[in-house]
Amino acid sequence: MMWWLHRLVHKSRSENQLDKELQFHLERQVDDYVKTGLPTEEAWRRARLEFGGVDRVKEEVRDTRWETRFDNLWRDFRYAFRSLGRDRRFAVIAIFALALGIGASTVVFSLVYNVFFDALPYKDFNRSVVFAVHNLTDSSGSKDREFFSPAEVRAFREQNQVFEDIIGYALMRPTYDAGKSIRFFPFGAVVTSNTFNYLGIPPLMGRAISEGDVTADAPAVFVMNYRFWQREFDGDPGVLGKVFVLNGKPTTLIGIMPAQFNAFSANFWIPVPYDQATSGGYQLHLMGRLKPGVSVQAAGADLDSIAHRAHKIKPDEISPENKFAIVADTLLDSLIGNFKKALYALLVAVLLLLSIACSNVANLSLARASLREREIAMRVTLGATHGRLIRQLLVESFVLASVASGVGCVLAYFGLKVVAALIPAGTLPEETVIRMNAPVLLLALGITIVTAVLCGLAPALHAVRGDLQPRLTGSDKGVGQSFRHGNLRAGLVVSEIALSIVLLIGAGLLMRSFLVLTRVDLGFDPKNVLYFVLNLPPTYNTDLAGSLQRKNALTRQLLERMQALPGVTSVAEFADPPPLEYEVSDTIILGKPHADRRETQFEMCSEGYFQTLGLPLIRGRFFSEDDVSRARDVMVVNEAFSRQYFPNEDPLGHKVKLDIFDRPYFAAAAPHETYFEIIGIVHDYKTRSYNNPSWRSFPQAFVPYSVAGFNWRTFMARTSVNPSSLLRNMAQEVRDLDPGVQISTSGTLEASLQEFYRGPQFELVALASFAIIGLALVVIGVFSVMAYNVSLQTHEIGVRMALGAQQGSILKMVLARGMGLVAAGIVIGLFASYALTRYLASQVWGISTTDPWTFAAVIALIVFAGVAACLLPAWHAARVDPLVALRYE
Amino acid sequence: MTDDRTDFLKGTLDMLVLKVVALGPNHGYAIAQRLKQISKDFFQVHQGSLYPALHRLEDRGWLHAEWKESETGREAKFYSLTKKGREQLETEVRKWERLSDAVALILRAAESGAK
Repeated sequence: MMWWLHRLVHKSRSENQLDKELQFHLERQVDDYVKTGLPTEEAWRRARLEFGGVDRVKEEVRDTRWETRFDNLWRDFRYAFRSLGRDRRFAVIAIFALALGIGASTVVFSLVYNVFFDALPYKDFNRSVVFAVHNLTDSSGSKDREFFSPAEVRAFREQNQVFEDIIGYALMRPTYDAGKSIRFFPFGAVVTSNTFNYLGIPPLMGRAISEGDVTADAPAVFVMNYRFWQREFDGDPGVLGKVFVLNGKPTTLIGIMPAQFNAFSANFWIPVPYDQATSGGYQLHLMGRLKPGVSVQAAGADLDSIAHRAHKIKPDEISPENKFAIVADTLLDSLIGNFKKALYALLVAVLLLLSIACSNVANLSLARASLREREIAMRVTLGATHGRLIRQLLVESFVLASVASGVGCVLAYFGLKVVAALIPAGTLPEETVIRMNAPVLLLALGITIVTAVLCGLAPALHAVRGDLQPRLTGSDKGVGQSFRHGNLRAGLVVSEIALSIVLLIGAGLLMRSFLVLTRVDLGFDPKNVLYFVLNLPPTYNTDLAGSLQRKNALTRQLLERMQALPGVTSVAEFADPPPLEYEVSDTIILGKPHADRRETQFEMCSEGYFQTLGLPLIRGRFFSEDDVSRARDVMVVNEAFSRQYFPNEDPLGHKVKLDIFDRPYFAAAAPHETYFEIIGIVHDYKTRSYNNPSWRSFPQAFVPYSVAGFNWRTFMARTSVNPSSLLRNMAQEVRDLDPGVQISTSGTLEASLQEFYRGPQFELVALASFAIIGLALVVIGVFSVMAYNVSLQTHEIGVRMALGAQQGSILKMVLARGMGLVAAGIVIGLFASYALTRYLASQVWGISTTDPWTFAAVIALIVFAGVAACLLPAWHAARVDPLVALRYE
Repeated sequence: MTDDRTDFLKGTLDMLVLKVVALGPNHGYAIAQRLKQISKDFFQVHQGSLYPALHRLEDRGWLHAEWKESETGREAKFYSLTKKGREQLETEVRKWERLSDAVALILRAAESGAK
């Protein structure tokens, strides 16, 4: 830049000097001619003639500076295009390989960028953290909580040293009185008045919530999200300013938020003052923005020490868990969780793939450079400097890499659409948009340049090194000579094979794990089972005794109506909706004190539960209708329970208490200090716990749903017809029973299990595509090296055949050489995989990360691919005509 | 291969210019006369084409230029060889000798082969 400026400013000066210099030349020439006796005019004519066009010379002089800097480069580019055009097969394969590598990495980088750096539209979202209270007496995590008591919120707000700002929010579902009917609004949130200022996104229409909306005499207002506005009101702007009667209170709609604003996954937001938010019975969650430079851990530690201090003063109000820790997590991590690990795995995989692509192209370039040795030697002799030649070869790689990155970006654009569609719903926050963007494209450009250097430098250095003479005279090709670049090229192929083995084994492990996951015998029959979850209005939760009765009466009546529907074989009610993740509880067995923690998954269900899931009875009996309707304290346990807690005795008749029923959060609706008598043992079936996604047989206990009055009401029906077709009838029965009750979620058991598989499926599909691309590149690599070797060995093969070698032995010779490379690659690849696959441990279930079957299958695949890649060159070798080969020199 | 021939001619002219300047600092006109004299008029190129070469060599740092009074008393641009220029000249000369040796070798070999 400076140089350009300098040139511009000093142009006139250098022009003058040039004029002066040329003038001097001409005048001296004229002087000399005049001295020899020529007339002045004739002297000038001759001098000008000899000198040539002055203007042309000036032009050329001006050009010299440009020329030395730009012209050579321009010529290199032209030359690169021409020479690539001459060798189309090479160009196409190289561009194809690089484009796949660059395209795949651009897709993954876009994912990483969108998920890690650009996931949420909110102000400084990467400094936003959320908190949970971890109950140290329970390792399962089921007693942790993410909401806080009023006293805790006050303590945090007043005493923390780490936050710029803290907001509070709680999910709620109000009734909406539309005049003619009262119905439920979808889920919304009450938020503290600083929330919208904190999130920092202006409304689409109207205004957002501000501090003034929570003063004592302020009118009740709320703000709606874009989707809800579109869905319920067809995007009608006239709805702004309208008064809605929510939970019986007239509330004015003051604003609509833009589409990307989906804070707390709520459909609308109602402001509340802090004291009301904390005292109004809401489960208030907190989110805080860290002061710059404060770490997440430090924030957690600060709140933890505040809570422990405050707990000593008010042990009942603050952290009643007694033994607890407060942990902070970034907002983003709390939203994307396990997907992060999957992304890291993909990132590593795509870098492996890119390395394979680069080695492949470097390999092809080397082969090409060897074939061009004569040309290069000629150019060196004619005065081309080494620097110049290296630059030329680099420019060639750069041209390749540029075209490839163009193609790669197009691939990435479409690939990203496919990938975005493949990501299971619910994995990413709603606000996250997966798309290409400037930083990633810049990165792709960077990759292109690095690729160009990596692919071009080795061949370039190789090509210009060493003695030129033999290459020029061509005495270099033939018997006895070791293959030029042979070691380097073989090394590249070996490393390609090794890299692709790592990729294939990673993908293979995921595939095996996926098969294990989906083929696992769950112990029950998920086919033809319909389920739905009820949402009970507040009228069911007014007083303790009455509400238990109302809920259980509703349940009983609904079960009877469902059973009466045609096509229904059996029905059941239980608490935890599928996919089967259960609450766990400490288990206390009367008369058998134990020091260890006994965590049992428990389920509260109706008598039809076992029949509906198809679980066989081992001993004793299942619940009778009487047990359930009278809420008897009876319990059915599974075999795992019996095995673990009663290793050498009969559990029947023993009495068991589920400790969780006595805990504060359950206390309101659960039976206290109640021991259940074990009346039956049921066959194990596999479930999952909250923190462990693998299917296992946990100790399980079942008690009649009627002993408690919880709000969780899931119904299930086994049908003899397509289960989905019955959902309408079920919904009708629910409405007939109580119009205020709604079905919140519904589906078939089978579909809910499949939904669970979509996470691992995504990772598997992505990794497997990378592995397949990698394998294809390896086949190309092995093939090109072998084909080249055979072409160099033509003479040797001719001699062998002339001396009586059979075609079969030639075939064997070439294959043996190729398989030698493959074997070396396999050995290195296996060691690398052994070292690397352990990082996949969190993604792989049911098999070891060094699963011998996977390793064996991958070896077989690579050997097969290697043989396939060697076969064509070997066949060519075997068909060499000795006469032609010997005349080859 | 046109590019290479241009390279070749340019390279040769550059080498000759460097060699002449190596004899002592001089201005463009004197260098042109010297070239003509030494080569026995072999280089019948337009004398003007010397100047792009001089500027190119100056630009590459092989020649150093300064304005000085010439033998006639007028100001002229004098070129002298830099250290880098001297090294370049040596490389060029070595390369040239190798090439001409090689060419001579091939010619002789071809002759004896023909016999």
